[in-house]
Amino acid sequence: MDTKLEKNSVAISVRNLTVGYGDEPIIENVSFDIYTTQIAAILGRSGCGKTTLFKAAIGLVEPTRGEVLIGAENVECVAESQCEEVMKKVGVLFQSGALFSSMTLAENVAFPIQQYTDLSRKTIEAIVMLKLAEVGLAGYEAYLPNELSGGMQKRAALARAMALDPEILFLDEPSAGLDPVTSAELDRTILQINRSMETTIIIITHELESIFSVADRALMLDKTEKGIIADGEPKDLRNSTDSRVRNFFRRSIPEFLSGN
Amino acid sequence: MEVSSLEQKLEHSRDYSIEVTSRSFDELLIKISGNLTVANSEPARVDIFKSLNSEPLKNVVADLEKVNYLDSAGKALLLQIKSHCLQNRNSFKLMNAPPDTVRMIDKVEPPGAGPGVLAPRPEPGIIAQIGRGFQGIKDNAVQILTFIGAIVYAFGQDITRPGKSNWESLTKLMDKSGTDALPIVSMLSFLMGAVLAFQAAIQLRKFGANVFVADLVSLSICLEMGPLMTAIIVAGRSGAAFAAHLGTMRVNEEVDALSVMGIDPIRYLVSPRILAVALVMPCLTLFADFLGILGGLVVSVISLDLTPKVFFNQAYKVLEVTDVLKGLLKSLVFGIEIATIGCLRGFQVRGGAESVGAATTSAIVTSIFVITITDAIFAVVYHYVRF
Repeated sequence: MDTKLEKNSVAISVRNLTVGYGDEPIIENVSFDIYTTQIAAILGRSGCGKTTLFKAAIGLVEPTRGEVLIGAENVECVAESQCEEVMKKVGVLFQSGALFSSMTLAENVAFPIQQYTDLSRKTIEAIVMLKLAEVGLAGYEAYLPNELSGGMQKRAALARAMALDPEILFLDEPSAGLDPVTSAELDRTILQINRSMETTIIIITHELESIFSVADRALMLDKTEKGIIADGEPKDLRNSTDSRVRNFFRRSIPEFLSGN
Repeated sequence: MEVSSLEQKLEHSRDYSIEVTSRSFDELLIKISGNLTVANSEPARVDIFKSLNSEPLKNVVADLEKVNYLDSAGKALLLQIKSHCLQNRNSFKLMNAPPDTVRMIDKVEPPGAGPGVLAPRPEPGIIAQIGRGFQGIKDNAVQILTFIGAIVYAFGQDITRPGKSNWESLTKLMDKSGTDALPIVSMLSFLMGAVLAFQAAIQLRKFGANVFVADLVSLSICLEMGPLMTAIIVAGRSGAAFAAHLGTMRVNEEVDALSVMGIDPIRYLVSPRILAVALVMPCLTLFADFLGILGGLVVSVISLDLTPKVFFNQAYKVLEVTDVLKGLLKSLVFGIEIATIGCLRGFQVRGGAESVGAATTSAIVTSIFVITITDAIFAVVYHYVRF
């Protein structure tokens, strides 16, 4: 791993995490640290537990064992004031965008700011315009989410996730369902956010191009191992000795399935 | 940047300073140092705007050389200054600012003097509202007629080509809207019968006409209360469920998926629902009739000293089979109406979650409205037409 990144402090720490639905664990005894200003991609084939790990990391799913620390706080917060402190540091972009359908884009982005700060309406409006301009949606403030295309909804949801200048940004499959150009634009926006605000970004994805252009660290999950099978820079993982990792990065079919 | 930097940022947040100097006769230099964050952007804004307003004719240059940290609220403040300058036809420039900040401030068209993007949307005028109301009624009427047409066609298809109908879901739907409704229908009609008997008893006892409680309870339950109560419960349970279910299916494009598979969504989703409720409603009503009379009987025995035998004899004398059948016929019509309205409101859903909620509310309100009107029509018809 890059030594430069080692020097940074830990932004999010996952310790011995086991999560499952019912009796069957989806991921078992997973531990890793993600450092500040890192862009980490969590990847793996469908059904390997990426989304489960993501939900446990933001406290939506209760782990069977283990814990997730953001800064020094556990995401499974007990007191409400403590929860607020943790959740203020975190911005989340959900797979489907999850914009509130009854609010305009401006209201969607303004919502967390109104909830957490005492800023005047004029200031909040200015922040909203900045955030929407940052994701390339200037001029769409008064639109409702269902009046926009999928890519625009994703970008608006990203603007909402960034509304409070979070220290950590979780992106669940940001480029799923987007065309290559929009997807590349989104990658550029993600990089810009990371550079300008020094935001730590965790991306759940399986888009290879995004991983190579954005991520400086990749963690690969596997279904049978129920844990991480590779951790490192994407370009190193491509030449991994583990065939499961190599197959993923080279888009090849596992040997026992290809018939050779 | 450290993890605990948020706390540090907040600790230092108050140490900002603003120095305003005139560089030339038409240029104002604002030197900002320290941090501009959520915590201090409001006092900073007041400070800056005070000096801006005192010198309204000058172009502004903001020097950010000594700014340590600038968050979105700080950038928003810069944008507000830019907007103020442009409104006064002056220029605004950033000096020694990080390129990202310059890029962002340049990119955004300042809000201007308008109502702002978060202002509540203006209400249309009264004439426009009335016009829209009538337009809504007209659109709704067209949709209802189209929907009824589609249903009739679907039932026609069910009869002529019964092989392709969705018979499997029919039993499940009958179970959900019939069997599952049984406990609540039973309990409410039992109580309704008991209350009717109790209220009547207070009056009838004065005339020594205790025994006529049986007439009152059995007739009013079978003709009115039984069908009506059952219809209201079924509207609240099944009508609402249909609207929410079909509405969500619409939002998720499931209805479109059915269409492109060559399956008529009306035939697959709506006609089994209408048939299920239409079949189940008379059964539920019969049950409600029975339990309502039972409730009346219990109260009569306890508080009016009637024996069960006397009560039943009296009820048997006054109640004719046609009375019960009249009620059941009514409930059949109610059932068709409830299911049709529930499905119609579900199919009318456009957009997202809010629209599904509105459809569900509207399904219940419209159902109860239509049930009441139908009940009144039946009362008139039964009065003039002898069975």
